[in-house]
Amino acid sequence: MKLLTKLTLFITLSKLLIVVLFVFALPMLVGRVSFQYTNYYLTQQKKKVLDVIQRNGLEYYLQGDSTYGSYTMLKEEYISLSPRIDGFSKDTIETSQRIIENDTFNYRVLTHVLNSDSRKYLLEIGKTTATIGEYNSLLQRFTLYALIGLILLSILVDLLYTNILIRPLGKIVRTKLRDSKFPFKESLVPVETSTTDFKFLDRSLIDLMEKIHEAFAKEREFTSNASHELLTPISILQNNIENLMMDESLSEQQQEKLMPMINTLNRLKKIVHSLLYISRIENDQFVKKDVVSIHDLLLEVSEELSSRMEMKDVQFVLEVSSGVMITDVNRDLLFQLCYNLVNNAIKYNKEHGTITVKDHQAHGQPYTIIISDTGVGVAAGEISTVFNRFKKTGKSKSEGFGLGLSIVKSIAVYHGFEISLASQLGEGTTVSIVIPASFIKNKIL
Amino acid sequence: MKVLIVEDEKALAKEVCKFLEKGFYLCDIAGTATDATDLMEVNQYDFILLDLGLPDKDGLLLLDDTKKLCPDASYIILTARGDLEDRIKGLDLGADDYLAKPFSLLELQSRMQAITRRKSGNNDPVIELGEFNVDLNKRAIKHQSKEVDLSRKEFDLLSYMLLHKNRPLTRFQLSEHIWGNFNDEDYDSNYIDVHIKNIRKKLSAYAPVEWLQTLRGIGYKIKL
Repeated sequence: MKLLTKLTLFITLSKLLIVVLFVFALPMLVGRVSFQYTNYYLTQQKKKVLDVIQRNGLEYYLQGDSTYGSYTMLKEEYISLSPRIDGFSKDTIETSQRIIENDTFNYRVLTHVLNSDSRKYLLEIGKTTATIGEYNSLLQRFTLYALIGLILLSILVDLLYTNILIRPLGKIVRTKLRDSKFPFKESLVPVETSTTDFKFLDRSLIDLMEKIHEAFAKEREFTSNASHELLTPISILQNNIENLMMDESLSEQQQEKLMPMINTLNRLKKIVHSLLYISRIENDQFVKKDVVSIHDLLLEVSEELSSRMEMKDVQFVLEVSSGVMITDVNRDLLFQLCYNLVNNAIKYNKEHGTITVKDHQAHGQPYTIIISDTGVGVAAGEISTVFNRFKKTGKSKSEGFGLGLSIVKSIAVYHGFEISLASQLGEGTTVSIVIPASFIKNKIL
Repeated sequence: MKVLIVEDEKALAKEVCKFLEKGFYLCDIAGTATDATDLMEVNQYDFILLDLGLPDKDGLLLLDDTKKLCPDASYIILTARGDLEDRIKGLDLGADDYLAKPFSLLELQSRMQAITRRKSGNNDPVIELGEFNVDLNKRAIKHQSKEVDLSRKEFDLLSYMLLHKNRPLTRFQLSEHIWGNFNDEDYDSNYIDVHIKNIRKKLSAYAPVEWLQTLRGIGYKIKL
């Protein structure tokens, strides 16, 4: 799950939890608030009543009677005065039932003992609990609406902020890992962020990529230097053997004995040449500015290799549209790529076999060149390693040091082409080169 | 013909020298740029074989200087640096040819002869080969004024063998000459045999070609 999704879910769920808790707690809270408020209200009312009694005198209300009672029209509130005989004199507030004109009501009642002319009176001020409840539900509803509104707003703000906050993470992954292509030559620019953790991650990745870059550079340099250093001794050895071969005192039998040496020397030369060639490609020593007709190039390759095809009686079928031009490539490298592939298709073909070269392009899609042969094929387990250096299929009898396909791979990677190989043992091999659409220009015919 | 070999690798210089002396060239060897300039001040050379990786001076810079000292000499650059850029620079500075190490001595000789031929004009370019005449300039082979149709590669191969007549030539040497600098892993395979077979077939339609010998296990030889 994406980090943003996780955070979003967490934020939403946690807020939802708060809402649920609050909804359950709300009646109690509101009940508590109105309860407290009613008590306060009754105390205030008591003060007012006492003030009025003080001013007007108790008799004004009793008017010779021993009790006084007054209530509002709907009996939500009442006040009563009655003589009190027993001793306690503290104020109490309690909920109790009163019967007024045959109606029974639940009241919140404040009782107060009043001293007047050495007589004790009991003052009661009551308020029906039903009125208290009415306020309750109203209050609850408004609180709930306000709460939901606030929470929605805060979720929105949270999401926006989270989105902005974690945006550098995506950028770091994109620029440092996903978009950086082998052999990681371009220098990396730090992603701008004020989050220290992301800065740390970014820095660490840059350091890591630099280390990888350095290691690759060292490897390339080593291959290049080592191969160069080998060229001179090989040169001496070769010229030495050549001189020996031309020595007139040598018999033909003796000359023949030199052949294994010459063979080995030649093998050494080929390996060093191929390694140098690969390291030259990997060191960007080829300019990619040519515009090449792939049809003409393949035709040229087939002409170059025609004698080898004749030897094996191999048919070459070229079904590539002649209107397709490939831009921004190095012609020599592309030639080499096709040459090696067609050469392999000959080398590993059967007698009287066929080599077919086709192309394929859907509009706006990458352009694909497919080279297939009817040869010995590659075992399924070996397909993944054919492009590696110094690997060769065990089936082939002819020598070959596995650098041909490494060169092909290097050239493909250098240009940004994709290359893949499919094969059926004993049936043949198919190599596909996928060239991004940006390289393709269709010649207007 | 006088040749100066400017090469800091003594063993290599000696092999080249040994080979050229068999072909009646006179050789001097210089291990450094300083030695080379000293020698050039005293002697005139027909050929200067120049290694680019000298200990005291870059070969390309030396080439620029020595062009003034020996303006008539032909320059061939010998180098382990295979860069195309170096090659272009060298040829720009007036070098006549360029050979990448490791090179075949036979290839060196054939390049030197090609330069000589180019510089001296039409100096006896028609060579007898059995009952055939080979015109190296027009790249044609004739049997009693009738031209034999050989492919480009076949003609290259034949003229190369003719140049090194009476010498055993290995398949490697022959394929290296016709596939040359081209980066092909399989140029040493027996593909050369197909070309020889074709040459034999085409020529023997006119006259016997017993001079084109197969050396079992080694390669081929033109024996005249």
